[in-house]
Amino acid sequence: MSIQFKNVRKTFGDTVVVDDLSLEIVDGEFVVLLGPSGCGKTTTLRMLAGLETVTSGDIYVEEERINDVQTQHRDLAMVFQSYALYPHMTIAENIAYPLRVRKLDKQERTRRVAEVAHMLEIEPLLDRKPRQLSGGERQRVALARAIVREPRAYLMDEPLSNLDARLRVQMRGELKRLQHQLGTTTIYVTHDQAEAMTLATRVAVMKRGQLQQFDTPLNIYNRPANRFVAEFVGSPSMNFVDGKIEEGVFANDSVQIPVQRANADQITIGIRPEHISVLTEPQNGAIPATVYVTELMGNETFVFLSVGNNRLIARAPADFRAEVESPVWLRIASEKAHFFDRQTGLSI
Amino acid sequence: MKRGFLKYLVLLVALVAALAPVYWMFTISLKSEVDHFAVPPPWFSFTPTLEHYYDAFVTRSFGQYLITSAVVAVISTLCALVLGTLAAYALARFRLPYDLDRKLSLWILSTRMFPAIVTAVPLFLMMRDLRLLDTRASLIIVYTAFNLPFVVWMMRGFFDEVPRDLEEAALVDGDSRLGALVRVVLPLVTPGLAATAVFCLIVSWNEFLFALVLTQTDASMTLPVGIAGRVTQYEIKWGVMSAAGAVAIVPILVFAMAMQKYLVRGLSLGAVKG
Repeated sequence: MSIQFKNVRKTFGDTVVVDDLSLEIVDGEFVVLLGPSGCGKTTTLRMLAGLETVTSGDIYVEEERINDVQTQHRDLAMVFQSYALYPHMTIAENIAYPLRVRKLDKQERTRRVAEVAHMLEIEPLLDRKPRQLSGGERQRVALARAIVREPRAYLMDEPLSNLDARLRVQMRGELKRLQHQLGTTTIYVTHDQAEAMTLATRVAVMKRGQLQQFDTPLNIYNRPANRFVAEFVGSPSMNFVDGKIEEGVFANDSVQIPVQRANADQITIGIRPEHISVLTEPQNGAIPATVYVTELMGNETFVFLSVGNNRLIARAPADFRAEVESPVWLRIASEKAHFFDRQTGLSI
Repeated sequence: MKRGFLKYLVLLVALVAALAPVYWMFTISLKSEVDHFAVPPPWFSFTPTLEHYYDAFVTRSFGQYLITSAVVAVISTLCALVLGTLAAYALARFRLPYDLDRKLSLWILSTRMFPAIVTAVPLFLMMRDLRLLDTRASLIIVYTAFNLPFVVWMMRGFFDEVPRDLEEAALVDGDSRLGALVRVVLPLVTPGLAATAVFCLIVSWNEFLFALVLTQTDASMTLPVGIAGRVTQYEIKWGVMSAAGAVAIVPILVFAMAMQKYLVRGLSLGAVKG
């Protein structure tokens, strides 16, 4: 099912929460709305669900304008961050609720609940109450309740954020598999860039109510539209160094990097940690730096570096060892670097 | 050990203070008229008699008063609960323009702030014009109105405790607002609803002032008015009054006991999160 936001705006009093948002979501897509808290992503989802009114602009679902369609008639399923399981009902009753409201007969209800319970492996839980379940189990039940009625689209509001790290990664994989299996359009809200990167067919990055970039995860990572997107996506975060380009060299007080770029005054160079190699011996053209601290992650090492007044992070192999304050030399893959206008933050 | 003793002593004093009048009433209702005035009063050793009960409920119309009281109390409580719950839900969940939801709440509460006697005369005149004087309907209307603010404020508090996510989930699942209220929210506030119902019922059951002003004959008199009516110019029928009083206690006692498990939960609902 296709979904379209056209110049959607939402204000609470004087506060603009979503500003002139236009998005076109294609049938079967898994779109992730990504951004820090307060960026309007959840409000956007709630407007689509009909839980918030739209201040101006239009939302279309399959060519139908749904601004004034009541929530219960939109035929969208939503998974809440809190799971919102009905505490007084058993798991089976919880899952059957959307069917009961639609007045499906009991036999059909039982059949479909059993089917979904089988798919999500929660059959042994059906007679229990939500409070008897663990977080991960509740998560599955919430999913089951969304899936059971075969809605036009799934809306998910940070569904994994209440799970512990291990379970989150596991459920992330299962969600992706499930969406692949069902093929239903899914809109997923998160502030976790790893979830966005792994789940999405396309990611919409938002900041203070404004859409920053809407593209595939790979393009978001490799061709960020602006400094905000570049900084928000990727872990550890991209390095930024202010300076200017003169005669093919990016320079400031302590850094000089040869680049293939026209002269520019107010510019910020962005370098991903994996594009900085840390050398323990001086080398021709390498930038001298000192080790601020190192963090061994097991499979790799994050090296925090000081270059003059600049702080940089580099990814090094797991066996990289260097004492704090020891001198190192950096080689920067400048062909992979990003450049941003220092005033507008836009990629140039 | 010593503190435990003190605790029970205080409890005992409180219990005696609360129950002594009730004991007095029960014994009077069972004593013959001669014993009522005996000095010293026979606390335990008297020959029980049911003559006052017979007098009250067979010779006189206390049976009818009892029925009137029950009808008025139950119907007004139900009306107040239905209307008050819907109003409370709306006030708890919807933001009205111009801060109206907050103002309305306060306005509703303010109706409980002036003394009941202030409204007695206007209500009498209104009921007269509506030709509802001396009817059960008049009492049902007045008690419903009287209990409404209480229900609204109690239930609003309980609704505030129910996470919005649950109703929103119900809406997204395809249910209507009313359906979500009935199927999801109300089952969660049942203890609160029960506690509120008990209070409304007690207030309506015991109400004296409006019943006195608005009723005149046996046809619409409630128990409290009927009982007080036995204090006459010439005599005070202590036995009949006590017998009727003893019976009047029973329904509320039974109801409150049946609701006890909800009562405690209802009153402490929201005191502790989670």
